[in-house]
Amino acid sequence: MNSYTLADITPGMTESFTVTVTEAMMDAFYAVSGDDSPIHMDADYAAGRGYPGRVVYGMLGASFFSTLAGVYLPGEHCLLHSVEARFAKPVFIGDTLTVTGRVTEVNDTFGEITIKAVIENQNGQKVTRGLIKAGVAK
Amino acid sequence: MDKQSIFDAVQQIFRDNFDDEELVITRETCADDIEDWDSLEQINLLTAMEKKFGLKFKLEDVRGLENVGDLLDLIERLTA
Repeated sequence: MNSYTLADITPGMTESFTVTVTEAMMDAFYAVSGDDSPIHMDADYAAGRGYPGRVVYGMLGASFFSTLAGVYLPGEHCLLHSVEARFAKPVFIGDTLTVTGRVTEVNDTFGEITIKAVIENQNGQKVTRGLIKAGVAK
Repeated sequence: MDKQSIFDAVQQIFRDNFDDEELVITRETCADDIEDWDSLEQINLLTAMEKKFGLKFKLEDVRGLENVGDLLDLIERLTA
């Protein structure tokens, strides 16, 4: 885990990590959220809507923004203020996602940083974009 | 910028921030008057105003703000 403080962070700083979405993650997300929409639960239903498999919960993908901020950038000293997520393309079980965040603003007065984040799949497609604001302990 | 232009810009920032195009502020408007105006929204408002007016607030500038009037006075002072 990184432990950047506000003084360590400058615009342009970038952190990235990779994760593969598993069936176990889908099961766990359902257990937490109770979202049993068939597009996420039923492969045949998803196929009927033109998808090659169950569509991964958008918010499961967006949960990696929590990891990005809380573990990588800034890491330990983070307190998440807000996340805006845009689900540009569907994600499927087995996809390997690269989650990248780049600091665009550092506000010393309010102890807040802004991070532009993007999640790309193994084919280089941007599947999710995010704008993260996080408080950082000084 | 003149006082009216600053007020109009601040009014629009409040509307954008609280997603309410009907929102009308006055100099007396304070956090008690807008349900969602909490500490996090205060940061969002102030950072939006920094961008709009090309300012950089200091902590001592914003610590004592009690209402929109205080905020307008601060912006007028810093943009003068």
